[in-house]
Amino acid sequence: MAIDKSLKDMTFEDYCRTVFNTKNRYDKPEVLKGIRVVSTTQYILGPSCAAYLAELGAETIKVELPKRGEPMRHTTPFNEPFLYPLSRWMPDKGTGLGFFGANPNEYFLSLDFHKPEAIQIMKRLAAKTDVFAENYRAGTFDRWGIGARQHAQVNPRVIYQWMGGFGGWGPGRNRASYDILGQAQGGCFSITGWHKEYGGMPSKQTIWIMDYWGGAISAFNILACLYWRDNVSGKGNFLEYSQVHGAQRHLTDFISIYGKTGVVPQRFGNFEPLLCVHGILKCGKSSYPNSKNPQEQEVGFCLVSAYKDDDFQKLCKMINRPDLAKKYATHSDRVGADAQTAIYPELEKFAADKTKEEVDKACKANGILSQPVWNSKEVASNEHWHMRGTLQWLDDPTFGDVLTQGPAYQLSDTPARVRWAFKPVGADNEYILSKLCGYSGSKIADLEQKEII
Amino acid sequence: MAEKWRTEKKRPTIKVLPWPAIPAPTVDEVYAGVDEKRKEYSLWVESAVRQQFNADKPESLDGIRVLDMTANMEIGHWCSSHFSELGAEVIMVEPPGGDPIRKLTPFGREEYMFQSKNGEKVGARYLSEARNKFSVTLNLETEQGRALLKKIIPQVDILIENAPPGHYDKLGIGYRQLSEINPRLIYMWVGQRGQWGPLKDDAGNLDPTAQCSMGFTHGTGAPVSFGGTPTRSGWWLCDHVGGTFSAIGAMAALYARERFLGKGQFVECTAAEGVIRIIDYNWAWQGMDGSIRPRYGNWDLAINIYAVNPCADGQIMVGGGHDRLWFRIWRTVGKDKPELEQHICEDPKLRVVTDRLPHYMQVETYTTMCEWTKDKTRNEAETALQAEEVASGGVSFLDEVCEFPHYKYRGHVEIVDDLNFGKVLIGASGFIGMNTPGRIKWVGRTTGQDNEDVFRRLAGIDREGLTAFKKGGVI
Repeated sequence: MAIDKSLKDMTFEDYCRTVFNTKNRYDKPEVLKGIRVVSTTQYILGPSCAAYLAELGAETIKVELPKRGEPMRHTTPFNEPFLYPLSRWMPDKGTGLGFFGANPNEYFLSLDFHKPEAIQIMKRLAAKTDVFAENYRAGTFDRWGIGARQHAQVNPRVIYQWMGGFGGWGPGRNRASYDILGQAQGGCFSITGWHKEYGGMPSKQTIWIMDYWGGAISAFNILACLYWRDNVSGKGNFLEYSQVHGAQRHLTDFISIYGKTGVVPQRFGNFEPLLCVHGILKCGKSSYPNSKNPQEQEVGFCLVSAYKDDDFQKLCKMINRPDLAKKYATHSDRVGADAQTAIYPELEKFAADKTKEEVDKACKANGILSQPVWNSKEVASNEHWHMRGTLQWLDDPTFGDVLTQGPAYQLSDTPARVRWAFKPVGADNEYILSKLCGYSGSKIADLEQKEII
Repeated sequence: MAEKWRTEKKRPTIKVLPWPAIPAPTVDEVYAGVDEKRKEYSLWVESAVRQQFNADKPESLDGIRVLDMTANMEIGHWCSSHFSELGAEVIMVEPPGGDPIRKLTPFGREEYMFQSKNGEKVGARYLSEARNKFSVTLNLETEQGRALLKKIIPQVDILIENAPPGHYDKLGIGYRQLSEINPRLIYMWVGQRGQWGPLKDDAGNLDPTAQCSMGFTHGTGAPVSFGGTPTRSGWWLCDHVGGTFSAIGAMAALYARERFLGKGQFVECTAAEGVIRIIDYNWAWQGMDGSIRPRYGNWDLAINIYAVNPCADGQIMVGGGHDRLWFRIWRTVGKDKPELEQHICEDPKLRVVTDRLPHYMQVETYTTMCEWTKDKTRNEAETALQAEEVASGGVSFLDEVCEFPHYKYRGHVEIVDDLNFGKVLIGASGFIGMNTPGRIKWVGRTTGQDNEDVFRRLAGIDREGLTAFKKGGVI
């Protein structure tokens, strides 16, 4: 299809702003419209996988326990912020902010699996779904008669995704896991943070990375399987993702180097073993010294990137140290551990009486790449992310105005979108049960009275 | 402090044992003593998904062709790895002389690089993301190079690039121009912060630019009061996460094309936005009451107990937020030090799950916990906690990770015997599945190894033409 004439003549910036315009998202079709996902998942790993599909327009039904819902609803920083109500049965309780990000656009069904009627409902849902995601202990659903093998008999086109800690097989299969265990035992801690000799210790990635990222590659795999099912084979699939596996995938070159040389890679703080100068400098002054928030009183930090030879020359000129430019003229002179630990303190001397904005400005003025370390307030108030729809003030049907993250990627013709952040526990019971199971109003009321839903 | 750093000269020589130093456990050892009913499910999953049967199974993206034109950045390579692991034909289009990442190696040490049969040395960072990919060289700054690209484009499904914003559009090979040649083309731009908008990328931006610009670095590391600073991730985290999201974006576009759209589209994904999407509750919290997410070291703001704390020989992770696990953890501690169990379990302020979350309660919990862990090695603590089925484990270093029996048995780390580079230890594909598993077939190619194959096959260039292009600096 030829591009519209007016689009053709625009500048590139205008062209991008037109085709990716976030205001037009709802005028465009959805990729997964008509695909149904049943997600019986808790915490982050499983829910986020289903959420990525829901963002693309899949009808995602989240099944959780009645009344209190899943544990993530009760997880919120310092137990302070909550969104009310939790459910129609508990109007005085709220959902914690930990629930954000992993549950947009979903329909919420509450179901108590321990009762036989609930299993009947699950079987009915499974017969009508394209994707089934679960993260119960491996083999539990199989025992209950709603596992991958039973699904395949009823609905051979279903893509069954199991996600969890250590996987369903192998010596550690019975071990429990959390995101942070994946990071710790998978080796991610050991290479993040400062070295012991610099007073540092192995550090956690601030996000629940193994969960959210694991959900993302599971979602990718599901999309690939949908493609294979619809265009090639007509067959469903059984997929397994183990949380601890993600960590080894992230360790890329560290594993290869260990295998070749036996060297166990260590932490190098805010510097970069591969490139120099490409590190984060401590600036001596705070940008907001009079703020009441201790986060803003902190001194600033700024990334400075000048690893190419001429950039490094410019940098040395800027800090007025021609001797450094001469001594470390080539990249191989600079990148060694000794050279790096000698260069950065000199750069930090330059930054010692400046705020991060001042360092950033000085670098930009001299044609050097830099980026101040921003906190979540500085990011949230930046126009860039709002314009691109990455961050948005969402007028949520249940909770009103909330600031939330949008989809991570932009598609010009079939964009992903956030329609609602989440809903209370069991908000869509009537809709789901009458639509997919054909239950009458009195039957649903009966199930509710028996505390099955 | 620099003087304290172990200098280059004093580096010890290490005797390298072949991996695995200790053989992986056998099936009989793993399932010894497990009753038939429980064993049955595990054995079924194992027979369904074990990687050794991969070669007999189909690949879900077989027949899809991806051009990875990114250079000097990991996000594009990471994205195309998803496609190559699942069977797509991924061709890396590198500038003549190769992608600059090929030359990168920690601290510039050549002994960490891998040498191919033709003598080319390639850094491990590049090599681990060159899995199952072909390599061609093409100079897109020349007119002939662009003409050659346009010859290939009608046969390509997905194109990935990371040129400075608008650069390829100016050169006549942007989405606007290429979609006229091939309307079914999915054209993806990847980068750090974006190709449009007030903060669009400067040429040359690399991770951790994205980490710093979206709040990750500020939130990682210990609080100031604990002597900490903002900390970047030890690997190019934003590139990895952004790469995965860009793969989802491209895959969604591909699926949409086949399903109803019938045409390709323009896709964009950035490293920073990938992590903005997944950085928990930062934005909701900021929007609600203006809170800035603080650094909280190896503890968690929203769950207690859920942390990595020091022990006798390193750090140990213990996790158990809700009551069932909470009491099991303290029961374990109480076996050695009943006074600690008593101190916590009798504290009325720690009785309800939600009451344990404020900062001073977390300090109390972990101080008490460390009284127990400080005399325990990682292994002792882990064994004691595992006996009560509590999620726990020591902080492992790379050697321990590669030798961890569970990972070895499941093949999370594997040796690929490559045609070019010999035996390379590598992190395996994360796509484990019954019918269409991901797999690693070869590790990587030397610079431009597939020039002849690809250009003859896809562009119909004959041998004289190739020689002329080579002389002219086009390939």
